[in-house]
Amino acid sequence: MSKKPAPQPALHKVIMVGSGGVGKSALTLQFMYDEFVEDYEPTKADSYRKKVVLDGEEVQIDILDTAGQEDYAAIRDNYFRSGEGFLCVFSITEEESFQATQEFREQILRVKNDENIPFLLVGNKGDLDEKRKVSLSEAQARAQQWGVPYVETSAKTRENVDKVFFDLMREIRSRKMEDNKISNGRNKDKCKRKKLKCSIL
Amino acid sequence: MAQTPVVTGISPKEGPPGTKVTIRGENLGNKPTDLIGLTICGCDCLLSAEWKSPNKIIARSGPGKGRGDIIVTTVRGGKGTSTVQFRGYHETIGPLTESAVWVEETPVQSLGWGSRALSSSSFQIEDPLGLSVEGNDRKKFPEDSLLELFPGCNGDLASEEFSPGWFLLEHHHATSFDDLRVGLTYLKRKVDTQKEGQLSFLKGNVGSVIEQLETLENLKTTFEEDIIKHGLNRTETIESAIKECISEGNMLFDGVLKGREKADRTRNALGVLQRFRFLFTLPASIERNMKRGEYDTIINDYGRVNNLFGKTDVNLFKKVLAEVRLKVSELKNVLREKLQTMPNTLETQKKIIRNLVHLEYDDEPGWEAINVHSKYISDQLNECHLFHITAEMNEDNVIIFTHIIFFQNGLNHRVECVEDLTQVICLRLPDMWLLGQSYFNGELYVKPDASKNQEFKKLIVGVVSQMCRLVRSWPPPKGSALVPWLPHCLRHVRSAYSVYKNVFSTCFLALVFIPRLQCIKTALKNVGDQVKNLSSKENWVLIHDSKYGVITQLPKLFESMMSECLAGLKESVLQKGHRESELFENELAKKDVTSLVLSCFNAYVQCLDRLTANNDDGEQSMVVSQIATPTFRQSQQSTSLVWEQRVLACASNCRYSKLVTLPRVIGLAQSHGLPDLSQVMDTTSNNLSELQNHLVFTYVEAKSDPLVGTIEPSMYIGHFDWDTDLPPTDLRPYAKEIIANIIAVHAELEHVCSWLEFEVISQIVETVMEEVSRLMLCVPRMSVCGSQQARLDIAGIKHALEPFITQQADGFINEALEAIPSLKEAGDE
Repeated sequence: MSKKPAPQPALHKVIMVGSGGVGKSALTLQFMYDEFVEDYEPTKADSYRKKVVLDGEEVQIDILDTAGQEDYAAIRDNYFRSGEGFLCVFSITEEESFQATQEFREQILRVKNDENIPFLLVGNKGDLDEKRKVSLSEAQARAQQWGVPYVETSAKTRENVDKVFFDLMREIRSRKMEDNKISNGRNKDKCKRKKLKCSIL
Repeated sequence: MAQTPVVTGISPKEGPPGTKVTIRGENLGNKPTDLIGLTICGCDCLLSAEWKSPNKIIARSGPGKGRGDIIVTTVRGGKGTSTVQFRGYHETIGPLTESAVWVEETPVQSLGWGSRALSSSSFQIEDPLGLSVEGNDRKKFPEDSLLELFPGCNGDLASEEFSPGWFLLEHHHATSFDDLRVGLTYLKRKVDTQKEGQLSFLKGNVGSVIEQLETLENLKTTFEEDIIKHGLNRTETIESAIKECISEGNMLFDGVLKGREKADRTRNALGVLQRFRFLFTLPASIERNMKRGEYDTIINDYGRVNNLFGKTDVNLFKKVLAEVRLKVSELKNVLREKLQTMPNTLETQKKIIRNLVHLEYDDEPGWEAINVHSKYISDQLNECHLFHITAEMNEDNVIIFTHIIFFQNGLNHRVECVEDLTQVICLRLPDMWLLGQSYFNGELYVKPDASKNQEFKKLIVGVVSQMCRLVRSWPPPKGSALVPWLPHCLRHVRSAYSVYKNVFSTCFLALVFIPRLQCIKTALKNVGDQVKNLSSKENWVLIHDSKYGVITQLPKLFESMMSECLAGLKESVLQKGHRESELFENELAKKDVTSLVLSCFNAYVQCLDRLTANNDDGEQSMVVSQIATPTFRQSQQSTSLVWEQRVLACASNCRYSKLVTLPRVIGLAQSHGLPDLSQVMDTTSNNLSELQNHLVFTYVEAKSDPLVGTIEPSMYIGHFDWDTDLPPTDLRPYAKEIIANIIAVHAELEHVCSWLEFEVISQIVETVMEEVSRLMLCVPRMSVCGSQQARLDIAGIKHALEPFITQQADGFINEALEAIPSLKEAGDE
């Protein structure tokens, strides 16, 4: 049941998450415009969208580049709700950012209420191997624990930049197909969500 | 053609107005000038747009609100599209929000710190657990149970009675336990970061912080440089410099100020000198100006001198001032004299009054002027009156013998006098009135004394009544001669009156009323006199009137006389002037006029009477011929009508007057506004009828007397004896004479007034028959022939006079017949 190219190409919504300064915007800009921005400017929330060809099919990718700073934590919920797939980025040169991925993962799962949400763990700044603080095995172990792929990238060298976006889009696509199948019957998620609700009183 | 620009990226994707946004996309132009249009959320942001590369533009968002496209327009690509959207919102920074930049807080503060609505809403966004509060509204925890559970507490984060339990139940009672745990860790982390010392805040606002640091450093370095340059005690240097400036300035200005002071002093001194000179030369200049008549200049100077030196204590000045005052009082006297010399035009008088007022004249010059005016007018009136009187007197003395001329002149004088008097009033009174008006309107520069209003009125009325008195004291001296002039005088008086019709009506009305009445009276009297003289105008020309028989021109003359008089009266008198009272409202006047009209008519009647009464010259009837006496026909005068005819004509006139003239004249008078004359008409018509009857009677007398007188002699003419033997052959001559005479009378009547025929002739016949019967009764003895003759005569007479025989006459005939002895045979011719 492959999807036929519609007049309006399929839209995949990707959300960049991760601590501040790990290179979410850099990755996004590299992917979007093949440019690398050296000067650091904290992001609030940026929005990008463009047409790409995914496995011979023209699709639209919508990237929401979120703020890494803790100040914006409160508004993250709203952003996460609209996301279809997440790139959880940390810097391999910063241990804290790797730890923070745990929190992001939990928040996403809480908001999306879905264990199988398309999700990629991304270790950025791969070009700074000499400053590495997070070992590859450490990261891979966590990815395995979560059941998600782990990819190391470099926004500077554009290493694996396209790969992470395209991989995520593929996951989103396949996930959507799955959902379409299920939604023929009852919406399983909804029932699940209801069950999960906590009722103190 | 280049491809249309597409915006594919926006950073950030939302923000308040003025947010610096980075717009990324494709085909955004090859150089800065390619960019010709940029709208964010519909707001034109081209001004703030900064073209960086074909993929990037930096701009600031406009005031647009809500989600909207970012549209880039380039020269070659035209209007582009956007795959991303920007959301504009208006941000309010709460009092507890951290901000790295300066925020204008006043409007927020004005809402009040304690505003719970504000604080709760601002905290609602920032949930302390970092959890979404969306969807919690679905199951709101009832507030009553919250109050029960946590008495005296609330869920407000800013409140001192804040209860966590309340808060959690209120906001998160639908949140899962896991979520709550996440929230707790979030809260913990947040508290930790705050304890860490704002590190994350500094991180978030690195740009601003760095900027601030740089500014501080700049300040520091500049200050340090300054210290090196100027030393530590910089205020001292500044102070000394300022002091130096002050002294320098003082030095510079001292000279200038001193010079100015000097100039001022000199000017003052000059001014004082000028003033003194003015004062000392003032007496001379007043004199000069007085000669030239430039009073205004003097007044100005005087006012000035009073202002300048009025309160001086210097003896010299006082002396000069006294001199000046002397001059001024002199001037006042001069002006006053001028004011009191009449005649003067109103303008000059006003001017003098103004001058006097300005010269602090003690009395009220305006009032004085009014008094002068009134006195002047009255003087003039008197003078005029006197002049005319003396003129008349003089002429009286000089040309007393040329009586008629004197009379004419005297008359003229009188008329002229009235004319002059009225003219004086006409000319002078307006000025006085205007003066008074301006006085009371306050135009004469003094506050008018309202109490003088009454006095002023009195003055005016006094003048006017004087005039009235003088005019009245000049009544028409000798009856009719002045009559033609009276209306003329009246006209003058009226014209004077019309000038002031609004002002002194009563006075003038009285004045006008008298001449009016007088005028009517004299006119009527005059007409009466004329009518009396009418008899002399009778020329006895008979006019045949188809309806009323023969009349003379007398009634017509009378009528025309009356109507002429009435027309004249109407023109001058009876037509009411403005506000003049109805002339005949006065009962007395009415009565007078009525009696005058009546006297006119009476005069007419008398005139008619007189015309017939003058038969004392022994003029005999020419008509009644007597056989015995020679006729007077030869001695007939040139008069066209004999006396009897006149009598008849008069009777006819009476009738005509009664029937035609009288109603006409009365009607005319009535229509001209004379009072009700019906009584007059009645009386007059009675008089006329009486006169007519009298005339008829006179006529009958006049006719029948000779007629009757001739019967006896004629009967016995030729020594006739009724005891005759001669058979009657014809009517006796006396009978013939009777018939002939009556025929003659009839003819006369027919000629003059046929309507009297029956009345007159029947009366005559009666008397004749009476005489005949008397004669018959007196006959001592009558033969048969004689009786025959007598019967024949009587029958003849009776036959001839058949239509005029009345019952009475018939009685007489029968009486006569009875006196005659009966006949054996009747003979009739």
